Amino acid sequence: MTTLTTEPHVTQTFPIKDTIWCAGCGHFSVLNALDGSFGRLGIDGKDALVVAGIGCSGTIQNHVPAYGYHALHGRALPSAAGAKMANPELTVIAAGGDGDGLAIGGGHLMHTFRNNPSIAYIIMNNSTYGLTKGQASPTSQGGFRGFAAREQVDPVMLGLSIPATTFLARSYSGDGDQLEQLTDAAIRHANAGRGFAFLEVISPCVAYNDRYHEWPAHLVDVARTPGYDPRDRAGVFTQLLSWDEEGRVPTGLLFLNEDAPLADAAGPAQQDVDPASNREAYRKVLASFQA
Amino acid sequence: MTTIDAPRYTARHIDDLNMICSGQGGDGSLTVTTVLADLLRRDGLHVYTERDVLSRIKGGYAAASLRASAPERHAMGDHLEVVVAFEEQGVRRAIPRLAHDAVVVFDSSEGNLPEGLLPDGARLLAAPMGRYAVRDLGRTLYKNMIATGIVTRALGIPDDEVRDALRTRFKRLGQPILGYNLQALDLGFGAAEDLQVGEGLYNVTQTHGSERIQLTGNEALAFGFLVAGGRFFTGYPITPATDILDWLQKWLPQFGGIARQAEDELAAINMAIGAALTGVRSMTGTSGPGLALMQEGVSQAGSGEIPLVIVDTQRSGPSTGMPTKPEQSDINLMCFGGNGDFPRIVVAPGSVQDCFEIGIQATNLAEQFQIPVYVAMDQGTCQNLATIEPFDLDSIEIDRGKRLTQEQVDALGRYDRYAITSDGVSPYTVPGTAHGMSLVTGNERYPDGTVTTNPGNRRVMVAKRDRKLETAVRGGHLPSSVLWGDAEAEIGVIGVGGAFGPILEALERLEARGIAVAYHQPRTIWPVPRDTVEFINSRRRVFVAELNSAAQLAKLFIREGADPAKIQHVLRFDGEPMRPNDIVGPIASYCGQQ
Repeated sequence: MTTLTTEPHVTQTFPIKDTIWCAGCGHFSVLNALDGSFGRLGIDGKDALVVAGIGCSGTIQNHVPAYGYHALHGRALPSAAGAKMANPELTVIAAGGDGDGLAIGGGHLMHTFRNNPSIAYIIMNNSTYGLTKGQASPTSQGGFRGFAAREQVDPVMLGLSIPATTFLARSYSGDGDQLEQLTDAAIRHANAGRGFAFLEVISPCVAYNDRYHEWPAHLVDVARTPGYDPRDRAGVFTQLLSWDEEGRVPTGLLFLNEDAPLADAAGPAQQDVDPASNREAYRKVLASFQA
Repeated sequence: MTTIDAPRYTARHIDDLNMICSGQGGDGSLTVTTVLADLLRRDGLHVYTERDVLSRIKGGYAAASLRASAPERHAMGDHLEVVVAFEEQGVRRAIPRLAHDAVVVFDSSEGNLPEGLLPDGARLLAAPMGRYAVRDLGRTLYKNMIATGIVTRALGIPDDEVRDALRTRFKRLGQPILGYNLQALDLGFGAAEDLQVGEGLYNVTQTHGSERIQLTGNEALAFGFLVAGGRFFTGYPITPATDILDWLQKWLPQFGGIARQAEDELAAINMAIGAALTGVRSMTGTSGPGLALMQEGVSQAGSGEIPLVIVDTQRSGPSTGMPTKPEQSDINLMCFGGNGDFPRIVVAPGSVQDCFEIGIQATNLAEQFQIPVYVAMDQGTCQNLATIEPFDLDSIEIDRGKRLTQEQVDALGRYDRYAITSDGVSPYTVPGTAHGMSLVTGNERYPDGTVTTNPGNRRVMVAKRDRKLETAVRGGHLPSSVLWGDAEAEIGVIGVGGAFGPILEALERLEARGIAVAYHQPRTIWPVPRDTVEFINSRRRVFVAELNSAAQLAKLFIREGADPAKIQHVLRFDGEPMRPNDIVGPIASYCGQQ
């Protein structure tokens, strides 16, 4: 008896090329965590869309074996929300930098919290515009390029102030294990249809705002904070404000609302519409115009 | 109590009734014309309406116009047979357009019209409608139904038909509102008796066998998108595009579709793009100021080769301009806006029927060629109501272009999202397809989607994208031009959108005066159709009628080879719709007639 084996045919598509990032860039950790999450969560790349913004972070989709979309500057969130609305069966992950998500795209963040689409959003926060050579961003620390001490935007606090928010997390590219866990948790939250999963990753820019040496002293992991309850919104508010006063930056799963009703998925929107099978229904629409 | 201004009248038989009802915003003028439109449409007449409002919820001069005619009309006529005015200003504004025997229904609550204001022959039916409404029904608002009662008596419409129309129209309001409106109507009938209107002042022709439908251009366009398989729409409220969002929010969910209000136009166009990436036929709609914001998205769709329909219901600019007034001043923005060079198509419906057909075509074109397709409307085309024959739903075709199925992808050795092809269009996949993964980007890229600035690749990619329009033109895929009037005439006229109806009517009047004119109606304005340029260059004189001050349309044709010496501009940009006489006048004087 002979056994014939044939290699499964696989159509070649885009090659995974080298990144444009500098050696030591925090974004490598984000990519590593995201890339690994597909395997850990059993997501087939053909059913996933990674939407990235513009900037150094806006190239991450080129290195993940999934469908990739390079959105306009600041528009990763509405693009991702549109894709998810149209096809809720997809895993939709938006990613981008702090300038992309909090400056030019800042308006969309508030409305994405509010609308609560089931997408994961990873904001790779290096507190500068790296690709255009080091200008200040909305999260730059006091003293950076003339930035005042209290000019920063904290997207987690913004999210906390919006009642519809369901998932807020922060991680650090220097802590690979935590980053993997939170990336998985964010994607799981979104894929369970529980709504918008927001993950900020402190991802230092080694070229223009290298603060790796400073961060460890400021970070506090809420998983190691006794009594911290991410489901207690008022408690989280109080604790985060208090850490902020002390100059400490909390990481981990900061806020979680799993009691919210599952996000409304109206779709999927039909892709293949057959005019013949819809004809009678269209006639009813036509009749609505009759006198 | 009431004034009798003339002895009993003799009814004049007409088949073309033009009416305006005006007052302060919130006086209910639009409702008067809506009820009249319902009644006259039942008589088998074609009904056309226009609104003239200010951008505010209440107050300010507001008017609604209605034309009911045996032949189909796409614009208001030059003369008004019936004027309903809740204040003197409305009468004064209407005087220049009064028919020789016009009926003027006037609310004299604040006093009578000055002696001698109305020309001889005009017939005044004055009653203190506002005061009656307050006295008997406690609210001044019901004066509009008193006016309706007087007008329907003047038109000889049986009282019971009017009551029926009200019951149908106001069913949703329920009691007691419907009852108050019916009482107000009776007050109107009573006032008409006092005014000795008798059997009516006009006798409007009835025609019959009406299967006709009544809808606006916005509704027809949205319906066209729906039947073309469009299943995703996003918009941000803006006059006069909001009706499209409203209509699609009502109907799309019933057909497995989604229509959403976005937080701004930037989000609207990018959400529509996101949906398009999943393979759903997607559209966004806006007007001038919103379109300015959307330019980044149009350029993105052009570069990234993403199918997208963008509706621009043009209104008076620049900037916020005159938001409720018609204009065609975004032509340059649609044809040339957006950073960089990229192919786009701009189509321009004229009639409500066109809006439906072109809605289908635009949706197909966007996917066939994977490009942004603009539908150039204007406040007139999109909001004015017309009564027309029902649309043909039996011959709708959907062209998915080069969308690859799983089997087709599996048969490929290699899949490149931006493969170089002879027609400029690359086969494409959508998420969910195995081994069809792609990188879609607005950056320049190699065929495999990876970003590059390689000069040789750049030249090839730009040429590839440019070939799409050549393919579309060569294959006859774009909405074709229509020739009206006398094809052999030496004098021509061109106009789109809100100029369409007035031009058609101007043609009839000119013909009656012995002047032969050919009307070329382009339904694609970018790329400029070759037959448009040839039409201009083969005539002695061509009048290009458009609603803007810079002659954007005519200059577009000149740029593409039309002879400027042949063109005479007819420009209107005062916020008023174009009228047939705007076209008749210049052509008649060119021909030596006054």
